[in-house]
Amino acid sequence: MSRPDQFASLHPDCPDWQKLGPTAEDAALRAQAAAVTADADDREDQWSHGFTRRRLLAGGLGVGVAAMASQLVTTRISWAAPNASPTGTLIVVFLRGGMDGLSVLVPADDPNLLKARPGIAVRAGSLINLQRGFGLHPSLAALQPLISAGRFAAVPAVSTPDLTRSHFQAQDCLERGGAAGSTVQSGWLDRVLQQLGPGTTFRALGIGARMSRSLLGSSNPIVLTSLKDFGVKGIDGVAPQTLAALTTLYTGIDHPLGVQGLDALRASAKAQAYGKQEQKPAKERGYPDGDFGNSLATLAQLIKAKAGVRVATIDVGGWDMHTDIGTVEGGDMTNSLKSVGAALAAFAAELGPDLDKTTVVTMSEFGRRVEQNANSGADHGHGGVTMILGGGVKGGVHGRWEGLAPSVLDQGDVPGTNDYRDVLSEVVMGRLGLSAAQATKVFPDWKATPLGVMS
Amino acid sequence: MVRRAAIGAVAGTLAAGGLALEVISRPDTLRNRVLAAGAPSPSGAPSSRAKVAQQPSLAADGEDRDSSFVAGQAKPPAKNAAKPQQFSGFAAAAKAGVTEPSLLVAKGGPLTDAQARQHLLNRVTFGPRPSDVKNLEKLGIDRWLAAQLSPTAKDPAGDQAWRSRPLAGADPATIRRSIENYSWEAMFDTGMATLGRQVFGSRQLFEVVVDVFANHLMVSTPSDRGWDVAPQYAVSVIRKHAFGRYNAMLKAAMRHPAMLRYLDNDQSNRESVNENLGRELLELHTVGVSSGYTEKDVRNSAYVLSGRGATDEGKFEYLADRHRTGRVKVLGWSASNASGKGGLATGDRYLDYLAIHPATARTIARKLVVRFVDDSPPADLVNRLAQVYLRNNTAILPMLITLFRSSEFWNSFGSKTKRPLEDVVSSARALDLPIGPTTGKGLEAVYWQLNNLGHAPLAWPSPNGYPDVAPAWSSAGQMLDRWSMHRALAHGWWEGMKREKLPADLRPRKGDTYRAWFDRLGVRLIGQRPNARQRAALSTFVGAKSTARVDQGRMEWQAGHVVALVLDSPQFLAR
Repeated sequence: MSRPDQFASLHPDCPDWQKLGPTAEDAALRAQAAAVTADADDREDQWSHGFTRRRLLAGGLGVGVAAMASQLVTTRISWAAPNASPTGTLIVVFLRGGMDGLSVLVPADDPNLLKARPGIAVRAGSLINLQRGFGLHPSLAALQPLISAGRFAAVPAVSTPDLTRSHFQAQDCLERGGAAGSTVQSGWLDRVLQQLGPGTTFRALGIGARMSRSLLGSSNPIVLTSLKDFGVKGIDGVAPQTLAALTTLYTGIDHPLGVQGLDALRASAKAQAYGKQEQKPAKERGYPDGDFGNSLATLAQLIKAKAGVRVATIDVGGWDMHTDIGTVEGGDMTNSLKSVGAALAAFAAELGPDLDKTTVVTMSEFGRRVEQNANSGADHGHGGVTMILGGGVKGGVHGRWEGLAPSVLDQGDVPGTNDYRDVLSEVVMGRLGLSAAQATKVFPDWKATPLGVMS
Repeated sequence: MVRRAAIGAVAGTLAAGGLALEVISRPDTLRNRVLAAGAPSPSGAPSSRAKVAQQPSLAADGEDRDSSFVAGQAKPPAKNAAKPQQFSGFAAAAKAGVTEPSLLVAKGGPLTDAQARQHLLNRVTFGPRPSDVKNLEKLGIDRWLAAQLSPTAKDPAGDQAWRSRPLAGADPATIRRSIENYSWEAMFDTGMATLGRQVFGSRQLFEVVVDVFANHLMVSTPSDRGWDVAPQYAVSVIRKHAFGRYNAMLKAAMRHPAMLRYLDNDQSNRESVNENLGRELLELHTVGVSSGYTEKDVRNSAYVLSGRGATDEGKFEYLADRHRTGRVKVLGWSASNASGKGGLATGDRYLDYLAIHPATARTIARKLVVRFVDDSPPADLVNRLAQVYLRNNTAILPMLITLFRSSEFWNSFGSKTKRPLEDVVSSARALDLPIGPTTGKGLEAVYWQLNNLGHAPLAWPSPNGYPDVAPAWSSAGQMLDRWSMHRALAHGWWEGMKREKLPADLRPRKGDTYRAWFDRLGVRLIGQRPNARQRAALSTFVGAKSTARVDQGRMEWQAGHVVALVLDSPQFLAR
């Protein structure tokens, strides 16, 4: 796969552009990409400023790609799908609402835990044993094969650099990949994609109804819910002329809708092909009911079809457990974890050997208060838990952990002794092959210290 | 005064309602207070973690979720626009409007009369029906808007659509009598009936404002504990006060079982206060995170609200012995809060304080400006609306009047993008789908389609409401689903949301050239003639030059496809 640095130095008006690719068309597109990159440097805003250089170039290349090239607002061009993606796929699962880390990765031996949470602390006897005195909530038992294979890692006390207890602020910080006062506005995964360079239409994927903040930027992710439904319905008998007309409608428009429309058409054509390779519904493939299982099932199809997915996001809601965290017998935590565990296990099983090149990381905006509240719940806290599983992972519990003694706690919360950027930097380096310097571009002003989560 | 002529009907109603209207802005302390309230925290030197822990605003980069989504895309100042300005009437403001290049206009210039009407209909309604277009032409901008701003207008079609879902807006007792415990039926009915008013109702501006506030004071409908109480909340809190005062709406929300259960306030007691509602009240419902409140304020906010809960039958109750007493202080407000018995009244005074806080004024102003004007709300307009809000004791109508007389509103032609709900509802309205005995069934079908699109009315799953900015909805998958919806509606796939035949004015006439027909379709469905690219696309579909005569036989069955393609146009998706 082509890396951006191959032509980063190329001046867009240089006649040597034809050497950039195996065919004239390929070369023209790559030249176009270089021009857009140059353009982007002095363009603050993709909406309203002119795309003059690109237009100029599109006219000058004259190899029949002008119409297509005039659509590019980014360097993220859809090359032909590669036969394999050398460094695999990163899947970011955002557990919205603030997952209670102390119920998931339980410091079972810490006497302070039971003191602070007499009603909801998961008791040592029922836990799945991990290292360093930690145990995993038994409702994640479906992950046992991954744990045994050394493909499950967890980090306690992970947090944003700021101690905010607002959902919005903490999610925003995590998804932008910044800190208080940071000026970065694109999503952190968008910057990962920039570092990865051009890829396929499906290289950036959001599974769900709406865009993830972490993908926001110039990488034009495909956002979809399932492959089966990923096409225009009701055009039987008039499909070719309808799709041709839609292509014309959305071509040459200086507006985000233009990109979105053409991406939709391009991606749906490919999705039809990928979707045909797996006909069985998610349930018959071992996934539990629910959106998360369905999302992972869709993702597995694309990965197995070698669609070139590099990063994908999935949201799972329902973690804002101010009430009824419950016990291992029942309650919100048990229910939520069961479905997450079962879905991830089915996903790993379905991927088979493709799991070697696939890594899943979970995030949540914060952990919850150490002390339970009177409603068998816990209010917003700070340090939370990140789980990493799949290929390339070094199994076990990583990162600093100082226990739950009152002197350790930060405003009554688990302190954020492990910065989320350290975890994610290591994951993108290990999974996607970014260099340390590239990771610094993903998380500006942050020099990552690896915690050892990737092997 | 000039104002009198412009808004005669509205001013009369407002005066009758005791609302003093003051629109002319003065450089006084109020302005300064509003400006100060909106000043984001200085983001130079990073704050220490402990400080951030105590004061969330130190970590705030924007005002809310929606502002974060558009933060990277601030547009350059419009070339043609003059300084921000208020006009004495709606039409006068429209006359001075200018356009910038957008999906709807290739070259900027003065806003034409036709564009002004198209703009007004796109923003004030969920998309015009042919009757809206005719009425606006007949009445003119001033009288038409005055009618839309009337808080007492009748809406028989909207009422009929609402009633097509039997438990829409029902009270808890009725719901408990009518359905099984914990069934979500009444909540779904309420969402579907809301859709019904949007599609069939004539009080369109009211519906749009209801949608803004239902998202602002969000109680996710459906959500687990709302089964018997959320339907009534939609009516007795949001609809009741949408053209009234925000202060009253807020106080009603904080006494309604739906909100109290939704954000766990009914779980609070004096020993252990659940801080969910106390926090969101500050962050989402009133002053916003950049106002500078502290974690201590958050806890005090929760203390003040403790004791407010709901009975098992879904009635509001205040339990004095669950109220946490003792001195409370939030921002600039404090109370001795000495007795459990007085806790409810103390809470109401606290809500009064929050409602008239300048930072709350900005929060509410921002929401309206984002909805009606631009994803990146012009700061000066937000400040002007915030002042009007404070001068008029939190009344919502005076803000709307100011908004529709502002230069910013009339200079924003085509700058917003329809979200899925607006796309689907405006398609149904453009097709002029009729109301009838099976409307309830049709609403159900379309509600589930919207659910797949991630935008069923009232159904956003968290307390911050649906995003109201385009980048949050950017999705290739959604484009495909939207195009599919256009076909479903144009071809009448759903009983109760269809016509047996395309309306005559959408079908080709005898002797039409394709161009004549396409032009008529553009004007009828989008409000303007198709541009060359749209015409080329439609010609591609029909497989003929646009100068050719329409093949009437083939278009007999393909006209619906052509109509759908017009709805697919990016121009239709702009508003």
